This record gives sequence, structure tokens and C-alpha cells, in this order.
Amino acid sequence: MSALLEVRNLETFYGPIMAIRGVSLEVHKGQVVTVLGANGAGKTTLLKTISGIMDPEKGQILFEGEEIQGREPHQVVRRGIVQVPEGREVFPLLTVEENLALGAYTRSDKAEIARDRDMVFSYFPILAERRLQEAGTLSGGQQQMLAIGRGLMLRPKIMLLDEPSLGLSPLLTQEIFTILRRLNEDEGVTMMLVEQNAAVALDLADQGYVMELGRIVMSDTAEKLAASEDIRSFYLGHANEGARGERRWKKRKTWR
Amino acid sequence: MSTLPQTVIKGVRVNAQPGQRPVHIDGHTTIPALLRARCQENGSATAHRAKDLGIWQAYSWADYLDRVRDIALGMRALGLQRGQVISILSEDRLEWIHCDMAAQCLGAISSGVYTTDSPSQLAYLVNDSDTQILFVENDEQLDKFLAVEGQMPGLKQVVIFDKEGLHDFRHEKCLFLSDLVDRGRGGSVAEFDASIDAVQPGDTAVLIYTSGTTGNPKGVMLTHENIMAGMEVSLYNLPFTKGAEQLCFLPLCHILERIVSLYTPLIVSSTVNFAESPETVFDNLREISPHGFVAVPRVWEKIYSRVLLMAQESTLIGRWAFAQALKAGRARAECLLDDRPVPAGVALRYRIWDFLVLANLRRMLGMDRIIHGLTGAAPISPDLLRWYFAIGVPVYEGWGMSETSGIGTINLPGANKVGSIGQTCAGIETRIAPDGEIQVKGLNVFSGYLNKPDKTAEAFTEDGWMRTGDVGRIDNQGFVTITGRMKDIIITAGGKNITPAEIESRLKFSHYISDAVIIGDRRKYLTCLIMIDQENVEKYAQDNKVPFSDFRSLCRAEPVLDLIRREVEAVNKEFARVEQIKDFRLIDVLLTAEDEELTATMKLKRATVEQRHKALIDAMY
Repeated sequence: MSALLEVRNLETFYGPIMAIRGVSLEVHKGQVVTVLGANGAGKTTLLKTISGIMDPEKGQILFEGEEIQGREPHQVVRRGIVQVPEGREVFPLLTVEENLALGAYTRSDKAEIARDRDMVFSYFPILAERRLQEAGTLSGGQQQMLAIGRGLMLRPKIMLLDEPSLGLSPLLTQEIFTILRRLNEDEGVTMMLVEQNAAVALDLADQGYVMELGRIVMSDTAEKLAASEDIRSFYLGHANEGARGERRWKKRKTWR
Repeated sequence: MSTLPQTVIKGVRVNAQPGQRPVHIDGHTTIPALLRARCQENGSATAHRAKDLGIWQAYSWADYLDRVRDIALGMRALGLQRGQVISILSEDRLEWIHCDMAAQCLGAISSGVYTTDSPSQLAYLVNDSDTQILFVENDEQLDKFLAVEGQMPGLKQVVIFDKEGLHDFRHEKCLFLSDLVDRGRGGSVAEFDASIDAVQPGDTAVLIYTSGTTGNPKGVMLTHENIMAGMEVSLYNLPFTKGAEQLCFLPLCHILERIVSLYTPLIVSSTVNFAESPETVFDNLREISPHGFVAVPRVWEKIYSRVLLMAQESTLIGRWAFAQALKAGRARAECLLDDRPVPAGVALRYRIWDFLVLANLRRMLGMDRIIHGLTGAAPISPDLLRWYFAIGVPVYEGWGMSETSGIGTINLPGANKVGSIGQTCAGIETRIAPDGEIQVKGLNVFSGYLNKPDKTAEAFTEDGWMRTGDVGRIDNQGFVTITGRMKDIIITAGGKNITPAEIESRLKFSHYISDAVIIGDRRKYLTCLIMIDQENVEKYAQDNKVPFSDFRSLCRAEPVLDLIRREVEAVNKEFARVEQIKDFRLIDVLLTAEDEELTATMKLKRATVEQRHKALIDAMY
């Protein structure tokens, strides 16, 4: 089976600085794929390059078998690729409903749109309660829900989620990820999830990639990644305290 | 003292005929005596430079002696006796050299431990050498001691260099170096001098553990005389003179860096600069711009790869100019390497391109002052040597072992044959035994392996020559060429004897292959396990649009396998039918120095590789 989204040898620059140094990965239909990595690893740049906000210097992005690299974002969106940006970025002065309506901007089937809005409200009941409230007055968690809801309104073939857990309490993070899982299982939404919170991301994902300094250093099933020694100590906080019970130095990463 | 005819080289007095007893340098026959004399002569001149919070700090020869004296007297206060052993587990740094020299000033023996060694390896080394005092660099290395503390009953004390993160740490066996210095400070200078004078040339000075491709590492015992003999030889051969700058970056546990950074300065009074860390070597190189540079092939390869990458990423004009400059450089290098006079046209063209491009390149690399470079410890690709000659950095290959105090044969300006390991150094003798083995004799040859009389006996012939374990030949001009290792000779199921090293080094000369191990002992045909060069193969994959994610997937990509297959086939063409590599597999884990498959110099260990990757090997038969 060919992948829904396939990235090949992607290289993206910020001016002279190479942020992505040859990344290749695949997302299959119905899968949740997570990309883990520390600050500056190039995760967000990767998503931005896929959604057309940035142009790659080299490499290909294949979506449903067609090359889409370097296309304008609005063309990419019309193909069914939606990015839920880091830090929510809802329209603060528009109401919840208006925000959702903007998510369906490219569609014209009114009845279907209304049905999808009800579907969003069924997953996020709190948004239904606040449908007329300005988005800027929502709490962080609610804004994140709105951003995800807005993305869903496009009926995307794939959702690119950029750190949905950013700035949320552990409880809210749990809640959002539970909903993401339901969306994936019940609605079959394919997701590519960029996260720093490796524990929740690996729990949700089928497949995972680890990025470091613009390169992929590890790729495996989420289950195997979660069990790997390096992931456990560098991302999941299972520290081996060493003989003294307090350890300042870090073991070298080997990524295996 | 000596009635032998004397000569003066680079301002240093030695025997006119090298390799004769008593071996001395400026009249000193032991390392501590020479150290003391040099420190007193050079006084406030700079002996060492090290970075502190990113700024180079200079330390004088007088500081050197003061420090060594304080530490030595501190060790004495801890009860260290003549002939006892101390071990140092640290990256290269000033304290490493101080402690090493301090032990030798007491007539004690110093042994280096690689920071990449595991706790259990540390325990083995400490127990085998009966180490009394262990010096550890920092909390990371200290944790290794703590992990195996119970397995080292003989160890009396642990001294920690770096206090960072350990201010609350208390342990009955541990103290900090600053405390040791305090104990030694104010001690008797006369006592220190007396202990130096008591050291005899025949005393063991250092222990060097060889990586040991099979079995446990063996401790090579080198006496002061062995090392002085090695130093006498290096006076003739190393590109350093008084006041020269050099960079210390290879592990000091290795004989090569010992010769270069510990002993060379004692001969010619040069200045040693410590690289901040293994990762910053190239930056430090540029800052220091040393007068000589001694490195292992891997480092030369890395620099070459960096230059190629830089050239590829430059402008069209830049690339064109670089290609022209290289062409001019190669034309001149060919003449130089063949000992032909350089035609005026070639010389002029080189002068122009040197001025326009190559001189800048050398300055960017930090090689603008290099008189010449040296490479050793592993075979190097002849093409790479030619490339360095072309850019105006003559690099010569030499050969030595821990057992020969790091020196044996060397190529020199005017006596250079690319592909050979050079002519036998003056004062040393070599011969080829009937079975092809290279054998060595000289005062630099070690006295034996610690606690291993059987291994020591095996290492020498009945007439007192040392068996190097290398197979090779000597041509009529005296140039020695190594073709393989005795122990590694493969006897195929068909009964053919094959020296795998020859094939392996041909493979390694490919930029895409970092190391290879030929398999085939008692098998029907030869196969090969290959470790790819991550950087170059990734670049190849990127340039040729081969998708890969992590290292494993890179190793499995069909185009990468094809690439390596082509490299293997190219090598196959150079060998006879029985020596053909029929199949190969890539080692798909990225090995690091901590892995047991690799030696500290990042060479694959045959036995470990064969054992760890048995499944891969079996899949080929």
C-alpha cells in the first residue's frame, strides 16, 4: 500500500541555515504518526514545509502520490491537508462558531458543514456551550479544542498537529489526547503529530520518528520507541540515577 | 658521562649513532630527569595552553614542575611507593599530564584508561595493573568507579580532578586533586629531587594497555630507556622544534599522543595546546595553527570530507577555482612524490593557485604553519595522502606500536613512498621472517606484558626480535609495506591462505566505507561485514534522492546497497579469484566508541564483530 503522505529527502532552510537536513518519512491512511524532538530539532519547520508555508530547497512531498512541495498553502489545504498550528492561533475576536465556519472556508455544501459542526460539538461539548463567545476569551484548553475543531471542519484527509499539549495542564492534555484518539478511531482521521510530550504522543501514535538537529535519528513503531533505552531516558524521564543517586552528566545518545 | 660520539640536532644533544646505550637526551637518561631540566631551563616560557571558560590560558614550564612536584609529594603522602601503579581515567587535560609525570618522578608507573571504557573494563584494568591510586576526571568517570567499587579491593585512593557537581560528595576512598596538591605543597624539594635521581633507565615508566582484538587487554610495560630511545628517534623524525605549537587531542592513553604531546615537548621544548573536547578539534586547530599535526587516518579523512563539502556548497566560480587549484596542486604533488624536479610551468601555476586559493584553504583549516603532517595507527588511503600534498600540506605515514614505544618506521621528506609505512627509523632494525612477519629490534622495544609471561614469550623470537604480528615486505630501498595481520590470516575451506587486512584496507579507502571485516575462515568463500561512513553515505543518499529516515533505514536502502556493492566490486577487481568478496552485509547500528565492537581508535574488532553479528554472517552462507 502506498502512503497517504510521503516525504522524501526534504531540505529546508531559514536563509543560510539548514533547518531540515534530509528528512524522509511516511504516513499511511488512518495512522497516527508522531515526530518527537527537542527544541530546534526542525519539527515545526517540517510541518510548515508540508503545509506549504515554507518552501523546501530540495526533496519531495508526495500526497496521494502527487508532488505538492512548494505549492501555496491554500492549494495544499484544498487537497485535504490541515495544519493545527502551535499555540492554537484561533481568531480571538471571532466567536467560536465563526472560527469553525472559517475552517470550512473552502467548502460550500451547507448541510454537510452543519453536520460537521455538530460532530465537532459532540466531541467538544464545551464549544457548543460557548458557541457565541469570542474565542479570545476561552481558556487555553478550550482554544486548543477550537483549533482542532476548526481543522476538522475541512474534513481533512490528514491533520498536522503542532504540539497540541503546549501550555496545557496534564489533565487537559490527557483530555485532548483522548479526544484525538477517538477522532482517529471513530472518524478515521489520519494525523501527523509533532510533540515534545513524548509519553502522551507515543501512547496515541502507531508510528514514531525522532528528530535531532534537522535529521531523523530513530524511527520505529510507537511501542518499540517507548521501550527504547534512549527514548526512556531522554524523553520519558526514566533516569538512571547512577551510583551516587544524583547524576549531572548525560549518557551519550545512541538511538537504538 | 658517555664516551660515545655526540651530535646536536635542533639544539638537542644526543648520541651521534642512535639506538645505543646509554640512551640520553641532553645527558638525561630518564623522563623525570629530563622533565626537571627542561622546566628549569625554560622557566617562564609557555609549556601548555588550555581553555578555561572558552579563553586560552597559558601555563609556564615553571608551573609545570611546581604542579608535578606538589602532586608527586601528595602521592607520596598517600603512601605511593616506587614501582607501584597509578591509573588515569580522563580526557586529555593538563591534570592528566601532571599526574602522569608526577607518578614517574616517584619511580611509580602510570597507566591511562580510556574514558569510553565501561565500569567493568575499568575494574579489569585496575586489578590487572594493581593500581593504588585512580585519578578520575569528573562525576561521570567517578560513577564508573562507584559502580564497580566492590570489585577493586586493591585500590587505595581515588582522586577527582573536577569538583563540579560533587561539592557534597563524601567517600572514604575519594579526595579531590586540589586536596592532594595541598598535601604535597610545602613538601620537601630535596625529597622530590632525590626520588627523581633514584629513577633508573631500566625502571618501568608507563603501562599501555593494548586494545586487544581478542581476549583481555594486555599491559605493555615500557621502561624509561624504551621511551627515551623512542624519543631519540622522534627527534630525527617529528616536525617540531623549540617553541613550536602543537595540538593535543587524541587520547593520551594511546602511545601516539603520548609521544607527540607528552614526550616531544620534553625533547624540543615545544608548546602543547589542549583541544577543548573531541568535538571542537577542528575549531581549536584553526585557533592554534600548529607547526606540526600528528593524527590518525580518521581525522585526516574528516578534514578532507569537510573541505569537499565546503567546496560543493560554494559558488560556481568558487567551485571552478577550487578545481583548478587542486589540479595545479596535483600536478606539482605528482612530481614531488615521484622525486622528480618540478617543471617551471607547473611550479608557476601552483604558485598562482596557491596564492589565490590553496593558501586561504590552509589558513581556514589551521594548517598554514604546518611544516608537515604525520599519520599513523591505521592504514591510510594513498589517494588521501596525494590530496593533502596537492593542497600544500605534506602528510607522511609512519608506523609504530605500543610495544615499540610508538615508533618504528616512517616516511620523511625526501624519503617518501606513498602506500608504504616508510623506512625503518635510525636506531631501529626491522626484518621479514620466513613466514612474512615483520620483526623489530631496538632499545625502544618493550620489556614485556604485565602479568603475562606466556604472552611476552610469544612476542619475541629466540634471537630476541619482537614479532609485530604484521605481515609485510621490505623493498630494496628499505621501504616497509604492511599487507596484513598474522593472526587474521584466513584459511578458506579450499585451503587458501588469505590476509584479510589487505582487502579490508582497500575497502576502507572508499569514502563510503568506514571499516570492514572480511569473514571466511574455514568457509567456502569470503564475505564481508561493512560499517558505512554515515556522513558521506547520507550525503550520497540526499544527493541521489534516496529516502531514508534513521541509520538503519539508510543501511537498508537498495540504492545504498548498490553503492556499496559497486565499491566492493571495484575492490574485487584488484584481487585474485579466491580473494573475491562474494557477499556483504552492512552493520546497521551506528557504533560509538563505547561499543565493544570498536577500539578506541574506532577500528572494528574482528572477534567481537564476528561474535556480535553472527546472524548477519550466517545469513551469507
